[in-house]
This record gives sequence, structure tokens and C-alpha cells, in this order.
Amino acid sequence: MIKRFISLEWKQFKRASYFQKGLAIKILLFLAVIYFGGIAIFMGGLMFFILKKTMPDIDPIITVNNFLVYWVLGNLAIRFFMQQLPVMNIKPLMIIPIKRNVVIHYLLGKTTLSFFNFISLFIFLPFCIVLLIQDYPVLNVISWFLSIIFLTMAINFVNFLINKNNTVFYLIISALVVLIGLEYFEIFKVSEPIGLAFNSLYNNSYLVVIPLLLMIGLYKVNFNFIRKGFYLDDTVSKKAEKINETDLTWMNRFGSIAPFLKNDVKLISRNARPKQVLMMSFFFLFYGLFFYTQPHYKNMPAFLALASIFVTGGFLLSFGQLVPSWDSEYYKLLMSQNIPYKKYLESKWYLMVVAVAVSFILSTPYLYFGWKIFGMIAAGALFNIGLNTFITLFGGALNRVPIELNVKAKAFSNTNGFNPTQMLIALPKLALPMILFYIPYKLFNFEAGLIVLASSGILGIVFKNFFLNKIEGIYQKGKYKTIAAFAEKK
Amino acid sequence: MITVSNLSKSYKGVQVLNIENLDIPKGQSFGLVGNNGAGKTTFFSLLLDLIQPTTGHIKSKGILVNESEDWKPFTSSFIDESFLIGYLTPEEYFYFIGELRGQNKSDVDNLLAQFEDFFHDEILGKKKYLRDLSKGNQKKAGIVATLIGNPEVIILDEPFANLDPTTQIRLKQILKDLAQKQGVTVLVSSHDLIHVTEVCERIVVLEKGDIVKDLATSEATLKELEAHFTSASFG
Repeated sequence: MIKRFISLEWKQFKRASYFQKGLAIKILLFLAVIYFGGIAIFMGGLMFFILKKTMPDIDPIITVNNFLVYWVLGNLAIRFFMQQLPVMNIKPLMIIPIKRNVVIHYLLGKTTLSFFNFISLFIFLPFCIVLLIQDYPVLNVISWFLSIIFLTMAINFVNFLINKNNTVFYLIISALVVLIGLEYFEIFKVSEPIGLAFNSLYNNSYLVVIPLLLMIGLYKVNFNFIRKGFYLDDTVSKKAEKINETDLTWMNRFGSIAPFLKNDVKLISRNARPKQVLMMSFFFLFYGLFFYTQPHYKNMPAFLALASIFVTGGFLLSFGQLVPSWDSEYYKLLMSQNIPYKKYLESKWYLMVVAVAVSFILSTPYLYFGWKIFGMIAAGALFNIGLNTFITLFGGALNRVPIELNVKAKAFSNTNGFNPTQMLIALPKLALPMILFYIPYKLFNFEAGLIVLASSGILGIVFKNFFLNKIEGIYQKGKYKTIAAFAEKK
Repeated sequence: MITVSNLSKSYKGVQVLNIENLDIPKGQSFGLVGNNGAGKTTFFSLLLDLIQPTTGHIKSKGILVNESEDWKPFTSSFIDESFLIGYLTPEEYFYFIGELRGQNKSDVDNLLAQFEDFFHDEILGKKKYLRDLSKGNQKKAGIVATLIGNPEVIILDEPFANLDPTTQIRLKQILKDLAQKQGVTVLVSSHDLIHVTEVCERIVVLEKGDIVKDLATSEATLKELEAHFTSASFG
């Protein structure tokens, strides 16, 4: 049975149209895998010696244990944004004689083969081998290594849950915010007891059962969660949701793009996916707190410029990168209705501009950090409005992955529209402002950096029509491909 | 109104549609019949510039549909449920389409009032999103939306499928009226020969992408079509 699943998956993978994208991107991805894998092995091998050298008084294993909590958190965060969760079309499988449990076991089993799990292996296996060569107690090292692997798997399953279940997502996010807050404001150092815990995990090898049980427990939770979702109740007997009707006629003042803007507001307020993205983009507002408060960033103003882009660009970066996928469910309508393509793009542009403006207003408390920082945020906002919006729209032309808008409850559909192509497109959005700021800063002074960054944005606004026309051309060229890809059912 | 010349569409070398010449005059109710894979939806998609023609072109009111967007203001269509916006209520959807087509709220309300019986009290004022409606009701909403804003060309793919008998009968009236009284060019495709002969004054039969029959509807048409498709099934 499992063999057949694998062959089905392979076919789906090979035959999906969005897979057939540029060769260059495939090669880049392949190189990235090799690169990160190689770095991981290298790091794992050297970690012991580096730690020994920099902190000769402390046993490297203790240092590692003290920092493991960050590894766990970082791992979880990266997975949340990047790990593609397995998707399986269960409807056809429900009426043929396959045991449900087999499907679920297979699905969960598949997640264990993720590259992210191997990264842990790549780092900690060489590290543990070095430990053994250095005559550390065999039993402890091996049980510690197993614990790490079990924990990695546990993270893997936690990630699955937070992606599929909003309650778990909010619970974990708020728990993390509280813990990080306690740590950050030095009210209570959470990392210390956790470090101790990892150390006792190492010292008492029988404790390996804890991560083992944790992993098994989370597997069970996932299993039950999916099992509960293994019905098509939603499609068979639809529970009609309560509709939320808000009067948006005040938006009519936006003229010819008002219908689209009103539609986008409804899109965001009535669908699970965009709501989640909107919430995430709200968190971007707080990026500044991390950068502006750290003394060592004071001397790295390029990073402050980056932070300023984040502060006002949350919505732009998270929602914007999935234009036009948000409209994928009814793209054919938009393409055949009385909508010039340019109007459609322009409305998305305005939506992002409004979002940046709102973020900018919300960012006024940053005045607390002084005019320099706030000036930077203002310049960043101008850059976001003037250039990043266009880069985002341009990137959207390459984005042909359909999004299912309202899919929070279904465990079997992929809620994670993020893909590596998007990452590559995101690079210039972040690197460009850093460069634009840094060069004049180096050549002249801080103010010159701000002026260049801000005026690049103003230039973008001035040439808005030029950019929109160019981008429209690209969308027009890819129109048929996009329609075909969006029509593809997952 | 619509002129097709040398139109063909191939996917990976396999031709799925090949129409050398086809003229559809203004105000004609035009029916397209054919078995699965005959090219009906392909033709409509080409007409709406949703796919790219391999050769040839379609002109709608003199406008090349794959080069200009100027056909959009006078054309409306409902091909499948991807023409609906699932998270809107039917009313909001109608108003949205209305806004796109330069109609204000009361224009749309006036139009909707004429279709109260068509909706059978299952669409309007139900406080439900389109995605929560049944397939048949979704279709009704989609079809009525194509009538908003006085289009000159209406394209409906399989409008009768999934509809209940009462609605089918009413829809036939509506379509006939549109062509005869308002001079709208109506293009429908259907698998149902009876419906199509009742509604359309001209029926074109597609077979594997080619036009094999082009009939002006008369008493004998239904018989002829039935004979055609019966013989097809025996080879």
C-alpha cells in the first residue's frame, strides 16, 4: 500500500504545473540543500573544538545544552515558515478499501523525512562522534544524541499541529511570547532551567525516555487530530458560517478601485488563511524592538535600515508576496470580467500602500527611540511604498501556486503557500534598501543614507505608471499560464 | 458579432479544436452541442481569452479578443464555479459585478427583482456565503450575475446542468427573451439536446474539435440531432 502512495505522490509532484518552473531556481534549490547540509556537517564536526577554544573553562557539552533551547525555537520558527507539509488528496481514498490508519501513518511518516530533520542529524551526529573520540561516556552521549533526535521529531510534529490547528498555533505563539518576554526583560531567565534540564538529560541517560515519550505523545495527538478530520463532513453537510456584514460604502471614495479594495477587505476578514497572514504581519511592527534596543546594532545601521523595512512592511511582505494567489479561486472571473488588468494590479498596489501607511501610523511610538530611528522608519516606509510594492507585484507574476482561502479546519490540505521561489524574490526587497542606505552612509553620513533611501521611494511613486505598465506587461504575458496553474485542483 | 477564423487549439501537438470559419450574428441564440471532449469549453475559453489560440483568432464586435481587453465591457460569462467569489454573499457578489459593469446598487436591485421566481427564495437574503450554497444555487447566482450591466454577449457553459426542473424551464424563457427581445447574443453549450433545441435558433455540433453540423433550428432539428448522436454511439 505504502508503495502505491509513494508512486501516487511522485506522479503528483512531477506533473504539477507549478513545479515546471525555471531550471535556474531548481538548481539554486539543489545547491542550497547541498550547501546547508554541508555547513551543518562541518559545524557539527567543529563545534566541540570551537567551544573548547572560546570557553576553555566550560565543558562544551554544557554550553551546547545551555543553547539548545534557542536551537529548538529557531528550528520551530524556520519550520513554520518553510517546511512544506504533506498534502494528500483523501477524498478518492475514502471510498476504496484502505485502512484510514494506514493513510495517516503514512502521512505522518512522510514528514519525518523532511530536510529539516536531517539538519539536526547532520549537526549532532558529527558532534557526538567527536565527543566519543574525546572519551566522553558512551552511554550518556548516545542517549543524549537519541534525545536530540527525538526532540527534533517532536518539533516536527508540533509544527504539523500549529500549521493545521489555529488554537494550537495561538497557544504556542502566546506561550512563546510570554517566555521570551520574561527572558528578555530579565524578569525570569527561562533559558537557565531549560539548560539545566538538558544537562540532566545528558547526565542521566535513562531520562532519554522523556523526549521519547514526548515524541510518541505528539505523534498520537497528531494522529488523533488527523483522524478526526478524516471525514468530509464539511463538504457533505455544510455548516453555514455566520456571515459578517460590515458596511464598507465609505470606501467608495477610492473611486474606480473601490470595488476591489472592498473585496480585498472582505477577503481578509472572511477567510482563514489571509486572517492568519494579517495577524503575522502585525507582529512585524515589533521587529524594531529587537533591533533598536540592541547596542551592537547601533554600529550596524544597515541592519537598522532592514528593521525599518520590516516595521512598516509586514503586510506588504507577507500578504503581498502571495498576490495574485489570493484571487486564485476565482481568477477566471477576474480575467473575463470588465476589469482591465492594470486596474486589478493598481488596486493591489493601493492596498499595499494603505497597509504601509497604517503600519507607519502605528509605528509612531518608535519616536521614543529618537528622531534618527523614526526618520529611518519613515524612509523605510517610503521605500516600501515606492519600490517594494512594485518588486512585490513583479514577484507575484512568477507566483503560480493556488491558495485555498478558507482551510483552517481541514487537516489534509496544504495551508502553507510559502515556497522557496518566494524566498528568492524576497531577497531584493530586503537587500536593496540596505544597500541604498549603506553606500551613501559610508560615503557621506547617516542623513545622506536616509535621503537616498527615501528619495528612491519617492522616485518609485513618481514613476508609478511606468512601473505598473511594465508589470502589467509581464502579467499579460504569463496570463494563460497563471490561469491554467490556478485552475489546477490540489 | 462574433467572427472566428482559422481558430485551432492544440495541447502538446494534439488538436482539440479546429474551426475554420464561424460567424455568429448579433442577437442570435447560439447552441453548442457535442460529447465530452468535443471542444465546447475550449471554444468558450478561447472566446474569453482564458487560453491562448494555437492558430487563428476570434473577433468579438471587431475586437481581437486575444490582443485587446476592449471586449470585456460588453461580454459576460459563467463557465464554472471559479467565476464565483466564494466568500461573498450572493447580494455582495451581484453588487460587485454591478460595480465592475458601471451599475449602481438600485440598478442591480431592479434587475434582481425580475428573477425572484428564478431564485426560488433560496439565494437572496439568506445570509450565506456563496461557498456555502448548493451547487445548483451557486449556478443560479452565477447565471443571473451574467445578466448584470446589459451585456451584448452572454456565454454560458452547461447552464442547465445541476438545475432543478422548475429553474430549467424558467432559464429557457430568460435566454429566449434575451436574444429575441433584447438583441443579446447568447452562447450556450449543453449536453441536453431538448433544452438546446428549445432555446437556440442555431445549433452547432462539435465533434473532436471540428464542426460537423450547423443547423438552423426547426421542428426536425431535435430528431436530426438525436439521429446524429445515436449513430455516433454505434460508430
